Amino acid sequence: MDDPRAAETDLSTLMGELTSAWDAAGLPVDARFPFELALEEIFVNAITHGATAGETRHFDLRFSYARPRATLVLRDDAPPFDPLSLPAPDLAAGLDERGMGGLGIHLVRELMDEVSYRRVDGRNELTLSKHLD
Amino acid sequence: MTQSALKTTTEVTPTARLVVPVGRLDFEASSSFQQAIENTIKEAGGAPVIVDCAQLDYVSSAGLRVFLVGARAAKLDNVPFCVCGLVDAVRRVFVVSGFDKLIAEHPDRAAALAAIK
Repeated sequence: MDDPRAAETDLSTLMGELTSAWDAAGLPVDARFPFELALEEIFVNAITHGATAGETRHFDLRFSYARPRATLVLRDDAPPFDPLSLPAPDLAAGLDERGMGGLGIHLVRELMDEVSYRRVDGRNELTLSKHLD
Repeated sequence: MTQSALKTTTEVTPTARLVVPVGRLDFEASSSFQQAIENTIKEAGGAPVIVDCAQLDYVSSAGLRVFLVGARAAKLDNVPFCVCGLVDAVRRVFVVSGFDKLIAEHPDRAAALAAIK
């Protein structure tokens, strides 16, 4: 790998890491969707919030499975930001009024069983887990 | 440089224009998909636009945003706009987001074409 920092900020690479860990755990492909979605939403949040031009964000993931619970831990070195603090989107709004703010994290909350945030060692850390039965 | 995981084709039928996304609609793919949707609506000349999602495996909030932008553009141009063939995972995202109430949906392409006649 030529530049690990660049790789860390590339969604395809991160998806590949998740897929490898998922397959290594012997989990079914059709249950992976919520984890892929969570990874994208949190990653996009991390690189868009408070990033300045030319700055490299470090983003890493850890995946673990202890039957029946699969857990994804995502860490980034962006300024402190708890995406769980975002207000829920107005799901009742009509076509013209509907905004997109907070929708990604809303999806993550709905598709995962548990989501928690903490700031640790100068990093944002989100722990997302779901029972797979 | 990674290749986009989404391929989008368009089709013209006697009664409608179809946009067919194949693959994964993530944030990297969303701008080219948005272009395809907006161009199709512009060129439809008032004919209905159907987004056939039968081969769409994945959608994130960035992808959903394109459906919202498309539905608004269609409304402005008086172009009927609908989606069809959502696979379970994609449908779940639409429902959890409340988009099933914003955008007309049909089970498959045949049903969508029948509905616009």
